Amino acid sequence: MIPGVLAALILIPLAGGIASSLVPRRTEGRARDVALVSSGATLGVALWLWVAFDRSRETMQFEFVREWIPGLGTGIHLGVDGLSLPMVLLTALLTFLATIASSKVSDQVRAYFSLLLILEAGLIGVFLALDLVLFYLFWEVVLIPMFFLIGIWGGERRTYASVKFFVYTLSGSLAMLAGIIALFLSTGGKTFDLIAIAPAAAALPVATQTAIFAAFAVALAVKIPIVPFHTWLPDAHVEAPTAVSVLLAGVLLKMGSYGFLRLGPQLLPEGFSQIAPTLALLGVISIVWGAAVALRQTDLKRLVAYSSISHMGYVMLGIASGTAAGMMGASIQMFSHGLIAGMSFLLVGALYERAHTREIEAFGGIVKVAPVLAGTLVFASFASAGLPGLSGFVGEFLVIVGSFPVFAPHAVIAAAAVVITCGYLLWMLREVVFGPLNAQHAEMPEMTGTEAASILPLGAACLAVGIFPQILEGVMRSSLDALVRALGG
Amino acid sequence: MISPADTLIHLLPEVIVAITGAVVIVADLVWKRPDHVRPGPRPWLAYLGIAGLAAAAVVTVAMAGRSAELFEGLVIIDPLTTFFRLLFLGIAAVVLLVAVDPLPRFTRWDAEFHALVLWCTLGHMLLASAGELFTIFLALQLTSLPLIVLIGYAKRDKRSGEAALKYLLLVLVSTAVLLYGMSFIYGSLGTSTVAEIGDLLAGMTTVEPVLALGLVLLLTGFAFKITAAPFHYWVPDVYQGAPTPVTAFMSVGSKFAGFALALRIIITGLHLPLNWHVIFGVMAALSMTIGNLGAIKQTDIKRLLAYSGIAQAGFLLIGIAALSESGVAALLFYTVAYGLANLAAFAAIIAFAQSTGSTALADYAGLGRRAPLTAFVLTVALLSLAGLPLMAGFVAKFHVFLQATQAGLVWLVAIGVANSVVSLYYYLRIVWQIYVAEGESAPLALPWRSGVAMGVCISGVLILGVYPEPMLTAAAHAASALFGK
Repeated sequence: MIPGVLAALILIPLAGGIASSLVPRRTEGRARDVALVSSGATLGVALWLWVAFDRSRETMQFEFVREWIPGLGTGIHLGVDGLSLPMVLLTALLTFLATIASSKVSDQVRAYFSLLLILEAGLIGVFLALDLVLFYLFWEVVLIPMFFLIGIWGGERRTYASVKFFVYTLSGSLAMLAGIIALFLSTGGKTFDLIAIAPAAAALPVATQTAIFAAFAVALAVKIPIVPFHTWLPDAHVEAPTAVSVLLAGVLLKMGSYGFLRLGPQLLPEGFSQIAPTLALLGVISIVWGAAVALRQTDLKRLVAYSSISHMGYVMLGIASGTAAGMMGASIQMFSHGLIAGMSFLLVGALYERAHTREIEAFGGIVKVAPVLAGTLVFASFASAGLPGLSGFVGEFLVIVGSFPVFAPHAVIAAAAVVITCGYLLWMLREVVFGPLNAQHAEMPEMTGTEAASILPLGAACLAVGIFPQILEGVMRSSLDALVRALGG
Repeated sequence: MISPADTLIHLLPEVIVAITGAVVIVADLVWKRPDHVRPGPRPWLAYLGIAGLAAAAVVTVAMAGRSAELFEGLVIIDPLTTFFRLLFLGIAAVVLLVAVDPLPRFTRWDAEFHALVLWCTLGHMLLASAGELFTIFLALQLTSLPLIVLIGYAKRDKRSGEAALKYLLLVLVSTAVLLYGMSFIYGSLGTSTVAEIGDLLAGMTTVEPVLALGLVLLLTGFAFKITAAPFHYWVPDVYQGAPTPVTAFMSVGSKFAGFALALRIIITGLHLPLNWHVIFGVMAALSMTIGNLGAIKQTDIKRLLAYSGIAQAGFLLIGIAALSESGVAALLFYTVAYGLANLAAFAAIIAFAQSTGSTALADYAGLGRRAPLTAFVLTVALLSLAGLPLMAGFVAKFHVFLQATQAGLVWLVAIGVANSVVSLYYYLRIVWQIYVAEGESAPLALPWRSGVAMGVCISGVLILGVYPEPMLTAAAHAASALFGK
């Protein structure tokens, strides 16, 4: 075991971020190379971690502990377990692919890649932090690069979208800060360490736990986002540049669901159980609402954005169920949605670059001119619809199975909502991929090498998880069992 | 009994600062520049002043372990004094440095400017060590009088003169209120040293109305100084009208001097059966809310920072409202974090005004491309003021909120948290203007001295944000001096 490997996972992208901002102005295109090397190295370390990870242990591994601000009871404590490892790998993979996909960025290149890498450092930090203050710190750090990435390189309504994103998530996270301080003080005011504080936290009276977890839940729900906290998402996704949308949908949303898993069952089990029924209800509403609104979208990117809300609703339902199958389904769905959303946004971005529009009606019959591109879009849509054999199916199926014993009506509705999902996806495919060829796009170029390099690995991973879910399941199993036990299941 | 020689040694930092001010003036007389020469910057005068400040800082650090009560308790030297001495010396050094380049734009009397900043700083330092009502009064005058002149220093600028007049009236009123309050206290208790007042008050179960009135008037006098609501009406006009280096100086130096004084009086002196938590809590809540709401619609960056300063005074007051040792420690850390960030922001504003002559927010459009480093510094400073992580402002706000919660002031923390969100809106508006809004694109050349000041301050902001422990320890040590007995 290499000591400090987790610190390296945060420091490599951070160093890359600083390095790419220091590239001389004359050769600013080099910033992308720096970003490729740095995010590639991070991905390498993450893959090594995946291999070296002990799948039988449910406790933290590769722990990294350093003193930081003992006066305030907070220190540096990093660790990885079955909940965080898949998220770390997903972050590293998507950032690397997003860097590849950002080859067309020409405005303030250095700042762009610098922010992208700082974003990666912050995201990995969130998933590794085991100290509440450190967790909150990384949580906020993610906001800043994201705000600028949307605000500077975004579409026409970028100002509105980025400010809305910022204000929504920040208001949420301040509630979390209040919750963290309350938790600290009610457990004796000694430490913010997530592991050390857990026994005292779990022993708190139900009312206290509920109040604190409610504060957490607001911040997490905004991030996921579940209806009614979701209105920032469509705007942010639509205005963000392609690679940023990939990270936004692929990883940022998972911060919310990861937070529910990390801060819920083991830290505040009673509070979690009290709020779970509400969360399950909101999860189902998100599933149906997201899918129903997606049906009515005429903009491809907005359609994918609303489908994200729907898919994250399954994650919420699975987590709220508190059952082994439900939580496993939610965790697999988190990973799977990262792959599928990443693929979808990259494809929408590729189409937009060709047609300079995202209006679904403006396309038609592209399978005739760009069969590979069209085929990949069909594949991504099927994955999104939950076709058996692809990763989306495993997650959603397990969520429905796992939540049925606890929330039967919810599970039934969630299962039925798959029909709506198929509805909007098939309609979209008919309009965009099939049907008569729109003459404007008769010259549409086929998928380029760069696009293939960023999109196809996601497709392959999606297929691999769909056929061999054990790859993920093996890593997650022990840690999830511990969560279920903490809830008394 | 402390010998006169010892007394002098204890006051050596103050003595050095006082003499440096005189030396700067004499040096100007000796190396006089002919009247017909068009005045340019004379950096060496400022460097002379900074050297004196550095010498005073070295002496302060060397004597950091020694505590004493001089002149029968009129002046108190303890770790709190040391903390504030260093803070004020640092602030003055930065102000002198950033003032070098803009000075010739509004005056040819640069030596006097430096001397007044130094003597005003002397007043700040004395306020931090004053342990008796009339010493406090004298020290306050020593800070106020130079400041009136400094605010009106841009003789040809009407707004500067107007601001000076407003500040003069304010000083008159607040001094009258303060003296009135002091006379009631002295009349009721028969003593004027803060420690004895504290002892006498601690023995009381009921308070005479006259004494209560005296205390309230005393606090009102301080509230003017620390720009707390509802005594803040003078701030926006004076901050906007004063020459920008003076605004920078006031926004931190003068405000922290008020806090230094308030701490000593409140913690040592106010042992009263009154609910001070609520009194200061309400003041903090009002300041935060009024300051933030006022800042939202501002279009001039100096005026905006004036309102933001009112709001920040509210956050600082939360530390007092906690009325605990760790609350005071949080306040002290907050002063450093706020001081660094605010000075960095002002250094950037001064540099920008030097090239463009403007402080209008609209003119900051495109700064991100025109002067990337200045834009970066201003951004980090503003985000730190907003309290975002990785910057000193986060640790400061976190610390203050934590201590207030510990003291049971959950309602106040809730208001503080809500205010942080509001403040983010207008800080981000500036960042927005810098990076996203379309504007001029010609690169700006900015004076390197402001660059040095910005670099020092912003490094401090980032270091304290990532590794705050040493400063937290120092603040806790300084705070313990008040609670030592």
